[in-house]
Amino acid sequence: MSLPWTEKYRPRRVAEVVGNDEAKKQFEEWMRGWERGNPSTKAALLVGPPGTGKTSLVLAYASEHGYDVVEVNASDERSSEKLKTIVGESARQTTLGGTRRRIILLDEVDGIAGREAAGGIATLASIIKSTRTPIVMVANDPWSPRLAPLRESALMIKFNKLRQREIVSHLKKILESEGVHLDEEALAEIARRSEGDMRSAINDTQILVSSRGATGSLLATLGLRDRQKTSFEVLAEVFGSTTALSGRAAIQGSDMEIEDIITWVCDNVLNQIRSPQAIADVFKMLADADLHHSRVKRLQRWELLRYVAPLLGAGPGVVKHMYGEKGVRFEFPSTIRFMQQTREQRSLVQSALAKVAAKTRMSRTKAASEMLPFLAEMLRKGEKGVARYFELSDEEVKALVGLGGRPPSEAAPAAKAAHPRERATRPRQTRGARRSP
Amino acid sequence: MALQETIPWIEKYRPRSLSEIINQEQIVNSLKTILSTHSVPHMLFTGPPGVGKTATAHAFASDLYGGRYIEDGHFLEINASDERGIDVIRDKVKGFARTIPIGGIGFKILLLDEADQLTSDAQHAFRRVMEQFSATCRFILAANYANRIIEPIQSRCAVFRFKPIELEHMRKAVERIATKEGLEVTGRAVEALYEVTEGDLRRCINLLQTASTYSKRIDENLVFQVAGLAWGGEVRRLLELAAAGKIEDARKQLRLILYVNGASERDLIGQIYRDLFYLSIPEKKKLELISLLGEVDFRVSQGANPELQIMMFLANLYSASQAGK
Repeated sequence: MSLPWTEKYRPRRVAEVVGNDEAKKQFEEWMRGWERGNPSTKAALLVGPPGTGKTSLVLAYASEHGYDVVEVNASDERSSEKLKTIVGESARQTTLGGTRRRIILLDEVDGIAGREAAGGIATLASIIKSTRTPIVMVANDPWSPRLAPLRESALMIKFNKLRQREIVSHLKKILESEGVHLDEEALAEIARRSEGDMRSAINDTQILVSSRGATGSLLATLGLRDRQKTSFEVLAEVFGSTTALSGRAAIQGSDMEIEDIITWVCDNVLNQIRSPQAIADVFKMLADADLHHSRVKRLQRWELLRYVAPLLGAGPGVVKHMYGEKGVRFEFPSTIRFMQQTREQRSLVQSALAKVAAKTRMSRTKAASEMLPFLAEMLRKGEKGVARYFELSDEEVKALVGLGGRPPSEAAPAAKAAHPRERATRPRQTRGARRSP
Repeated sequence: MALQETIPWIEKYRPRSLSEIINQEQIVNSLKTILSTHSVPHMLFTGPPGVGKTATAHAFASDLYGGRYIEDGHFLEINASDERGIDVIRDKVKGFARTIPIGGIGFKILLLDEADQLTSDAQHAFRRVMEQFSATCRFILAANYANRIIEPIQSRCAVFRFKPIELEHMRKAVERIATKEGLEVTGRAVEALYEVTEGDLRRCINLLQTASTYSKRIDENLVFQVAGLAWGGEVRRLLELAAAGKIEDARKQLRLILYVNGASERDLIGQIYRDLFYLSIPEKKKLELISLLGEVDFRVSQGANPELQIMMFLANLYSASQAGK
């Protein structure tokens, strides 16, 4: 077999890239921004399923407009060091002028896994801020929580699966150049099996042709590829499961981490299910799944893992079905957004806490429960002296004052005492009871 | 300094000597005897929060070595729940106990606060550290519960059980501060302070200082208001949201408490337990929820996900309060 067709027929110009016209337009517009010297963002994040032309688009644009593409594999542990060097070099070169322009291409950014993930992505985000060379990142799962920090600083360009006819007509062009023929039916079958993945369709075609027997039976021997399911697909299966068996399959057929699935499912329960008893039932099962999972982790009892999948995968769907709940809306997990939104406040509270703990010689946990509530209340009352004593910065003070999340009406000392004894003597007077007749 | 600092009252009125320790007469007497003989054993201080365990250890060291007991290197405090593992603690002890300061009395004192936060394996390791350095160092361990300290350590220590603060002692402590700070604190207010703090003197003093930013005259209503605002308020709101069916708001509140306020899940569950009794749901449901909370408490202590487990509890609270309608 000579050169792989996927390389041999890699598009040289943007117009040759198949499908995803909207994405192509966005990318060209973004690159023109760089050429004018005022890019809208320093980085672009191309997301979409495999084989939809993300990398091809970058390479095609580069060859058409005279750029060198520097490829860095993001899942390589030392990629951030490498990246710093390249970004540094490129910055110098552009000031000297005359050298060929560059695009930095970062593959598999959602593959930055494990321990390095947080640090790696954070370094990447800071490199993006300072770069003077366009950085293009490529990822598969647009909802990967790992990408959250990048989403703010990069232009996200979405790629969709290719249509079957787009694939078929492109395969025909390749076969024409090669001077071989495959019947329409075989091409349609290849395209169908590829599930919108041009790369796998081209590879399958090349194998069929090189084995010189483009028959239906041979086609059947080509294995179906295991495709990664997106988070939303997993959610749809979980909330659609009506049997323990199908629920288990939904979890086992996914390569998301169990923790991530738990987050995604938990954060969607309230969109999907309304009845109080059903909500309680679902959370009971999810909490049980978490219990089994915590035993696996803490005791290293891997054989207990099998109890997680049915509860996590079927619990929500079975209960939803039982109560005739009709929810259809799936959402990106609110916990991830919550953590992003509160990131600054959380780090300020933590740094304030460290100062308070040191001065009062308490542990941080103890300082959080024993000192913080009172400190926050004193600061809310404008008592600045304690802030000075603990050497808190203005930002830290602001973060502490913002703690609590009480509605404004309660911020002033309320007339009614909010204390157990009082409530004990007038038990029907809690707020929840008064609201509903 | 151009701008005035306000010293937190728990620091300002911290006892400087054993004679300033309140409510623990027997312990103080024993410690004074020990002081006079200079033969100091390892000691284990147990008792509920805010009854003076740490303060007593400091006061003891101050009486033994003089007011500069920390600066002169006679005394080191380590907080067990802040240190990453027993190795770090061992290194700290080693660094501290290797030398004997000139002008000392032959040994140093190391206070290990929140010692019951160590796992039992870590405690066994710590026991060896105690033996290794007992020639140059005496150890004081402070813990809420004696039964969370392994027996080999207990048997090597003189155990001092600190009593819960009595109302009359809290009254005296409050009156002393009130006089110095120019406050008027009513008799009922002291009872209220005692009740809401459950005899925890540290909380009492913090609460008193916070209340004083509202008014120089402190009555029971102000105490209840400030207590409601400062702590418990967050948790009560959490339960009320869940009971009223505002389950999404409850989830947000839960996340604020867990992730932003930096409260420990242990404290959160404890506060839920205290507030649960006063919710208006049928008593049978209440008992079921108490049992469920016990399950949540245990699971979380064993490494389960606190947000999910507590959400499960809140969903059941929601369901139970609907059933009562």
